Parts: sequence; C-alpha cells; structure tokens
Amino acid sequence: MFIARSEYDRGINTFSPEGRLFQVEYSLEAIKLGSTAIGIATSHGVLLGVEKRVTSTLLETSSVEKIVEIDSHIGCAMSGLQADARSMIEHARVESQNHSFHYNERLGVESCTQAICDLALRFGEGADGEESVMSRPFGVALLIAGIDEEGPQLYHAEPSGTFYRYDAKAIGSGSEGAQAELQNEFHKSLSLEEAETLVLKTLKQVMEEKVDSRRVQLASVTKDKGFRIYSDEEMAVVVERLPTN
Amino acid sequence: MNHLPQAWGRPRDNVYGTYDASYLQPRLPQTHTQSPIVTGTSVLAVKFKDGIVIAADNLASYGSLARFTDVKRLRPFNSRSIVGIGGDVSDMQYLDRLLNSLDVTENYSSTGHSLNAKNLHTYLSKVMYKRRSDINPLWNQMLVAGLDGNDEPFLSSVDLLGTTFSSPTLATGFGAHLAQPLLRKLSDDESKVADFTREKAVEAVRECMKVLFYRDARSLDRYSIAVVTKESGVELKEDEHLEGQSWAFAETIRGYGRTQEV
Amino acid sequence: MASLLSSNPTLASNPSYSFSQAPQNAAAGNREHAFYPYTDNGGSTLGITGNDFAILAGDTRSTSGYSINTRYSPKVFRIGGDDETGEGAHIILSVVGYAADGTALKERLNAIVKMYKYQHGKRMSVKACAQRLATILYGKRFFPYYVTAILGGLDEDGKGALYSYDPVGSYEREQCRAAGAAASLIMPFLDNQVNFKNQYSPGSGVGHDLEARQVTPLPFHEVEQLVRDAFTSATERHIEVGDGLQMLVITKDGIEEKYFPLKRD
Repeated sequence: MFIARSEYDRGINTFSPEGRLFQVEYSLEAIKLGSTAIGIATSHGVLLGVEKRVTSTLLETSSVEKIVEIDSHIGCAMSGLQADARSMIEHARVESQNHSFHYNERLGVESCTQAICDLALRFGEGADGEESVMSRPFGVALLIAGIDEEGPQLYHAEPSGTFYRYDAKAIGSGSEGAQAELQNEFHKSLSLEEAETLVLKTLKQVMEEKVDSRRVQLASVTKDKGFRIYSDEEMAVVVERLPTN
Repeated sequence: MNHLPQAWGRPRDNVYGTYDASYLQPRLPQTHTQSPIVTGTSVLAVKFKDGIVIAADNLASYGSLARFTDVKRLRPFNSRSIVGIGGDVSDMQYLDRLLNSLDVTENYSSTGHSLNAKNLHTYLSKVMYKRRSDINPLWNQMLVAGLDGNDEPFLSSVDLLGTTFSSPTLATGFGAHLAQPLLRKLSDDESKVADFTREKAVEAVRECMKVLFYRDARSLDRYSIAVVTKESGVELKEDEHLEGQSWAFAETIRGYGRTQEV
Repeated sequence: MASLLSSNPTLASNPSYSFSQAPQNAAAGNREHAFYPYTDNGGSTLGITGNDFAILAGDTRSTSGYSINTRYSPKVFRIGGDDETGEGAHIILSVVGYAADGTALKERLNAIVKMYKYQHGKRMSVKACAQRLATILYGKRFFPYYVTAILGGLDEDGKGALYSYDPVGSYEREQCRAAGAAASLIMPFLDNQVNFKNQYSPGSGVGHDLEARQVTPLPFHEVEQLVRDAFTSATERHIEVGDGLQMLVITKDGIEEKYFPLKRD
C-alpha cells in the first residue's frame, strides 16, 4: 500500500511508520537555508563568526545581529529563523540570571545549552504539566560558546533538542564545505588570533559575496574579557590580516 | 452637630449616599479549626526487647463532659504498626479514613512490599505539617508504634504542628507530664530497650494508665492496649479495665478546693 | 444632583447619618487567633571553622515548654548524601528553633543539592549552597521557616567555611557562630576564645597602646574542646540545653560524626 509521506507531515508530534518526526527533520532543513555560522574552541577562548547577508546597499549592517550575548561568559551565534532564536535566547538569559541569583555562581556552559534544548521539544500539544510554547519546532540552530571552570567550550544545539560539544563547528548554508575546511585546519594548539583567521578564511570560502568587515561578524569568549562582539575597527584589523587571493 | 458623636465629621447619607459599612469592618480572615471540640486524652507507648506496647483510654470528652465512653483511639495499620491518637476526635476519624484509603491504595499497588511503621510515621508527619502550613491543622498528637524496615521496634510522635520526635518511651497530653517520667525511670535510653521485657513493659504501661486515671480528670478506667511484635503482629485489646484501684490516697489530699474539712 | 439623591432610597424616607447603622463596636487592632503555627523546640547549635576543617555541633534535646520530648533528636545533618547513611555528602547543615520547619528546610535543601548534581554534573560548592539556602529562606519571607540555620563545609580552596542565617535568609560567612536557645550564653565565649576579643598582647602598653592579640585559626583539637566546653556550660545554665552533644566534623577526608553525653537534668 502506498503511504504518502505527507500523511505524517501534519501531525507535529506524530511518528511516521519508519519512526521519524518529519516536522523536526524539516526544521533541520530550515537551518541549511540560513547564513553560515562558525565556532572554534581553542584553549585560550572560543571564537564565533557569522556571515551577514547584506541584501541591499541601503541596509544598516549593524542591525543584522546574528551573534548575541547570553551572559557575560556565554554567547551564541545562530543560523536559521532568527526570530525563533529570540525566545530561546531569552530563556537562556533568564536561566543564567536565575542561576546566579540562586547559587551566586555563573551558569555552566553545558547547563545553559541543556536549558535551551529543554525548550526545543516544547511544541505541539504539550505534554501534561509542561505548557507548550510553540506550535512547531524551532527553525534555528545555535552555536553556544562560553567559558566556565571546565574551560572554553563550544556547543551546537539543534531544533531536535539534541546537543553536542565540538572543537570546531559550522552550521547554515555553507556548513558542509566549511566543516570540511575546519576538519583540515583545526588543531588543539590554535591561538585565538589563528582562530580568527581560520574563521574568516573558512567563511570566505563558502560565502558568495566577498568578505569585508561589514559582511562578517566575529565574537569571542575569553577568560579575561568574557563574551565580546568585535567592534568595526577590530573587524577591519582581522580582515586586513586575511591573505588576499 | 447632633447627638450622635460617632457621626461627627463623617459623610452624611443624604449628601453622599448610604455609607458602605463593610469598609468600616473588614471581614475577619478565613479561619479553620481554632480549638478542638470532642477530645481524647493521653496516649502512652513503650519499646521493649522485641516489640512495643501502646495504650490509650476509651473516652472522648466534650469539654469537661465525659461524652463518649467507648471510643477506640488505637488504630492498627496492616499488622505491623498501630497509631495511638489524642486530641480532636473528629480529626482522628478523618485520619482514620485517610489511613483506610492509604491502606487500600497500598494493597492495590502491592508489589509484595507493605508500608512499615516508619513509613507510616513519615506519611502522617507530612500530612500534619502540610495542614499546619495551610493554617488548617488536624488537632491531634499521635504516637506511631510498630516495626521499622528491619523489623526493629519503632516508636515516634507527630503533633498538630508537624513536630516529630522519637524515644524509647513516649506519652502525649497529660501523660507527657505524669506517665513519661515514670516510664523513663524504667527505660530512659535506647541501649536499655534490649533488656526490657514485654511483661515489664505492659505492666509499666498499665500502671501509668492507673496513675493517669487518678490524676487526669478527662480520663477513663476503660482503655485499649496493644502489643506489636514481629512474631504475633498487632495484638490489640480494646476493652480493658483498670485493675486494683485504690482511692485511699484521696483521703489525704488537702488543698485544691478541698480545704473545708468534711 | 437631584438624580443622584433620588437614587438614594434612605434619603427619601429618613435622612440619617452614615454611621448610625454601622456596627459601633468594630474590632480594634488584630484579632488573636487560637492556632499559632509555630513552636520552639529549644536547644542550641554551634559552628567553628579552622584552616582545613569545619565543625557543626548541636545538643540533642528536644523540648516543648518545660517538657523534654526526647533526649535524642539531632539538629545537625549531612546535605547531598545518601538518604540513609548520608554517605557522599560534602555539606553540613544545622537548624535550631521550630523543629518541624527545620526538618522541612533540611529535606528541601537536600533535594536541591542532589538535583543540582544531576542537572549540572558537578558537586554544589558551599558558596553556591549558601546562596541557595538564603533564597529558600527568603522565599518564605511572609511565612518564614522559624529556624536559625548554620551551613558548613570546605570552600574552593579547601578552607573551612561557615555561613550563618537568620530565619528570613540574611546570611554571612563567619569563623564561628552560636545559635538557638543558649546562643547568648555561648557566643560571647566564642568571641573571646575564637576571635580573641578582649585579649591583648601582654606588655604591649596601656589604654590605646594595647595591641589586640592576633587572630589565627585554631587547631582541631582545641576547637573540639571549645565546643565541648561551650555545651557543658550551656547545659548548666539553660534548661533547654542538655542530654547529648552531636558533632559533625568536615575535612577533606569526609564527614565524621561524634557524640558526647551531656547532663540530662
């Protein structure tokens, strides 16, 4: 008997006979449409980099915010539906503030990632007790960078609610090519400056437009300075360092 | 100005409309039980070598009136424990229903394991503490007697405030003042329980029931007594009579309103 | 105006004064209620830290008014360990005041410390636990846990740590603190013997020239003796203190429990 795939597309929480949740899988597709975002964890700190899609010369590029602060020691880069990320980040920020209010210490990076992923499957009808907040899965993936007593860490959180820790990870439309590049170039003794170059170099390879300080954004999390988004001047310096071709 | 000083300086109805006096006298806060009504008096219990003995008389008083003389205040629970309840009798009956339903649910969910006296005491202490926290207390003090998870004698108390404590001998109400000192003389330490026999324990409790009947005006000479041991479970007798009373001492009492020689 | 008046039925028939019908004997002040949800179970607790240890101690008597409920009711607990044995705990807590609230508070903190380990994959630090205890207590600001709590453990540097609380969560890290019924008897003794208050270097001068004796952390055996002396003396002078002395000592090797009898009169 022919079973149309679409029959299992509609039910948000309905497994297909093969045991798949199509809507969750589709949400992963939404991320592949998003702009590329890269994270690299070094022993000195974590670096995040995103491409900004400047669709018009009239666009104020500083208004494209794809890297945001969660707390002074945790930041995140996103790819996919940015609006969906807002509620996840809001949740993470509240969770982080709550933790320091209750425990007088900073929230761990993994705990923060877990808190975000706890939201991921709160769609559809909602299990008893837990109120559902979304009618569909999130359409955004996050790279969560932070530093705690365990050192610098990078996590990748998906709409499916799973998360993994990475040394270096690329998400979004150019992720396949970028991940291969990271695979080749990453090594444990990378300095932060080398990581800056690696991120931009990798982004450059997968971006359609040319890399300049307006079209890319970097941020870092270090022990001394915590989470910090690079200023235009700092961006210009890093871009300048890129080997021209 | 008129002859009603309490109205002076106040808004006149004919100018401002009828004054809503409910603002003047705010509603009293919602209250629940503020005092017990029909009450039971002391409960006594003593641990001995391989079990525990517990007793309470069969009286339920309405103030100073001996209202009900056949009220059973020892409530067995599943052959391993028994609860002695003092204080408000209606709350005691509620607790009895609560324990009934607990017993039923426990029997349905049975996985071969049943609640022991320690479990029961924990359950009751949570009930009591929850009710005091709701400012809606169950006006009782209870002794939970029986065997714990290792089949060792267990004895513990919980009251209307949720306060819990355990000791080799316990007594509630007047018993705490009159019987507890006598019982402590016999067994005042956990280490002494091991060489305290059943016979001695039962005898001590019966003797204390007599003392209480002499001195507690809200007590009765009909009482219930129970012994819980690993071998025989709960052995409950609910119609005991105080034996060998002697009121000769009454003659010697002076004072307390008996100043006038007869 | 006329319409306003006509809507008032009382005006038409008998113009009167608003308060004439109102009950005149409105209850003044607060009404006293028969049920008071608190009691005091007496007893005292005490905590002292040293360089690499912390001691929490409490007598084991529980009272109701002039009656002794029991001679053995512990006031010092292990937090975050196994349910039965307390094995694996790394924080200790003492509570004195209203025992039922004390038990409830202990159980709540215990559950939170265990949940923390599951959620964050690490042991809760004493500093974190101290802050959490404060928020728990303040969370019941308007129906407080009627207890004085002391929290003990070792800090991130392995030094003895002690945090003392009031019933609504004000807290502070200290070297030593006495709480409960005999706090006012024990605390001045501690001030003098632990923090060397009113002790001066001999021969350092007179008046303002006097040099205060330097405060140094005490060795364990001295601290233990101070605790025992404090409780024997408190037992003599306070009717709610006595029966037994329970002590939990936390060091890098774990928690050790000690028990010493006190006078039972």
